Amino acid sequence: MSATTPIPSRRFAGARVPLSDRIGEPAFRALCALAAAVAVGTLVWIAETVFDHSGTAFSTFGLGFLGHTTWDPVKNHFGAAAFLYGTFVSSLLALLIATPAAILIAIYLTELAPRIVRRPVAMLVELLAAIPSVILGLWGIIVLGPFLTGHLEPFLRSFLSWIPLFSGASSSGYSMLNAVLILTIMILPIITALTREIFATTAGDLKEGAYALGATRWEMIRMTVLPIARPGIVGAAVLGLGRAFGEAIAVTQVIGNATQIQASLFQPAGTLAAQIASSYQSANPGLGQSSLIYLAAILLVLSLIVNIGARLIVRRFQRGR
Amino acid sequence: MTVPRRRIWTIATAGLCAVLVAACGSSAKHSSSSTHSGSSTTGSSGSSLASAKQLVGAGSTLVAPLMSQWEPTYDQKYGVAVTYGAIGSGGGIESITGRSVTFGASDAPLTPQQAAACKGCLEIPWALAATDVAYHVQGVPNNLKLTGPVLAKIWMGQITSWNDPAIARLNPGVKLPATKIVPVHRTDGSGDTFAFTNYLSHVDPAFKSKIGVATTVNWPGGVGGKGNSGVGGVLQSTNGAIAYIAIAYVLENKFDYALVQNAAGRYPTPGIASISAAARAATTVPKGGTQGISLVDPPASAAGAYPISTFTYVIVPKRSSSPAVAGALRKFIGWAITAGQADGPKLDFAPLPAAVVSADKATLAELR
Repeated sequence: MSATTPIPSRRFAGARVPLSDRIGEPAFRALCALAAAVAVGTLVWIAETVFDHSGTAFSTFGLGFLGHTTWDPVKNHFGAAAFLYGTFVSSLLALLIATPAAILIAIYLTELAPRIVRRPVAMLVELLAAIPSVILGLWGIIVLGPFLTGHLEPFLRSFLSWIPLFSGASSSGYSMLNAVLILTIMILPIITALTREIFATTAGDLKEGAYALGATRWEMIRMTVLPIARPGIVGAAVLGLGRAFGEAIAVTQVIGNATQIQASLFQPAGTLAAQIASSYQSANPGLGQSSLIYLAAILLVLSLIVNIGARLIVRRFQRGR
Repeated sequence: MTVPRRRIWTIATAGLCAVLVAACGSSAKHSSSSTHSGSSTTGSSGSSLASAKQLVGAGSTLVAPLMSQWEPTYDQKYGVAVTYGAIGSGGGIESITGRSVTFGASDAPLTPQQAAACKGCLEIPWALAATDVAYHVQGVPNNLKLTGPVLAKIWMGQITSWNDPAIARLNPGVKLPATKIVPVHRTDGSGDTFAFTNYLSHVDPAFKSKIGVATTVNWPGGVGGKGNSGVGGVLQSTNGAIAYIAIAYVLENKFDYALVQNAAGRYPTPGIASISAAARAATTVPKGGTQGISLVDPPASAAGAYPISTFTYVIVPKRSSSPAVAGALRKFIGWAITAGQADGPKLDFAPLPAAVVSADKATLAELR
């Protein structure tokens, strides 16, 4: 044997490969692959079940279901329009309030706050996300409802009642406005956390350059931090929107579960998730249940679109940097 | 030579995998073919929940206060634990159809469609109560007088404020505020909704054609609450709200309640006397456990009858999952319709009429 003969690929010349290596390695690989397959399989299974069980309603109503405004279990006329309206209005309004608030909080935490305050305040804002939805719903009924009927709604009505959104007297604390405020509290932590990360990674020399040109702090933020972060903020907002779409428990507790479209924010309303949560246990078998599952299918598609969209935007932003 | 650690791990992991595979294999053989709770299954899933020592039920929130009195008493006396989930009458019918519980409870009798889906279920009236009309308005005294047509118009959104002339006409001398009326309804499938819409459909044909009678209907506006307790919550926190709610909850929470005019023109106080008067007016007692008894809007001859009284039923399959379960059910329901009625009066449940009790006993004998 010369020195150039390759050493055989065994642990030590002449010994057997241990059993644990022969079986262990492939078994470990198989276990990991199985776990991933189960995760993907669950998603496919859920989607398949939802689309399968909504088949009866889909064949009865077709896509016109999205435009019907009645939900009548007695006459078997069902339609998603009222809930689509409620879902979009509640989620978009919540986003409209939460995004500027999140940007302001993120600016405070990255630029303006004293260093010693940054970490605790950031943690407290993120703890908002840790509150279970049902507790937020309870708070909405007990605290927010009376506050709205007693103080906020009369205040808004006094000078904004010419806008249909703020017209209409309602003495019930269960309203679209209540749901909008609860959803705002729920999506604020997500948007704030992501926006804060984006702001924190703004290049230091860009900021120094702005100061060198004589910019004030606010001008520096406006010129350097915000423009670069814009796509990232959009991605964060879209993720928050996805969270708002799917929220069922807190919304069904405070929104009043109406099945009509009403212009005023002070009236009760309904969303896709809230309707499913409030009626699933007793929907009439056949068309009633199938229509409810059709609502679920619409919600699933909406959530998937929004979540995939958010990821694409965020990934493009990260790659661009 | 000591066994290397690697080998021990290999053997242990292989052993664990073998056990898991064996367990998965055997459970795959036993799993039932049911899909979701709406479809009726071949019916053996209830047996894993019930034995002769335990009965599981679900349904009506109207009978829930009485059930919570029955459970500890029956457990103490006979050692059988009864668990009950108050998910609404609609949910109770759903659950017993899917055989995920041993008995269902509903204030609404089964529709022909539900009876067919339930495959041989018996409905046995086991308690007698009423659906009150409660309200919460600052400045309005208790026991306001209202009539069926006025109630129908309120829930259809045609009467919108408390000082409407229609309400003022019925209550001369009462100063009514201009507060907006907020009609409250049930979002879940509810026997109270059934009793209330049944009554309103009797007294107002426009209500019948526009909204109809069912455990869930399309209410044109108003706020929804889940279960009698949910409706109570909405009522308590909303000034101007009016709701239909089971009598036990009105008592418990001391809500203001309306006096509803009956066919004889009187305004009886909802309570045991007026509910029993309504039950006496029911002339037919259906046998065989396949029909409900309607007590709403009794004729004018029942002068003191409360017009929105309702029986509440226990729904059981004719063939239970085992003779032991059937025997336990027969015993429990038999006790409920006789000795259990004593717990009723303090919650404003009237005692069952004698004719109904004997019809129930005959139906119970059919349980196998």
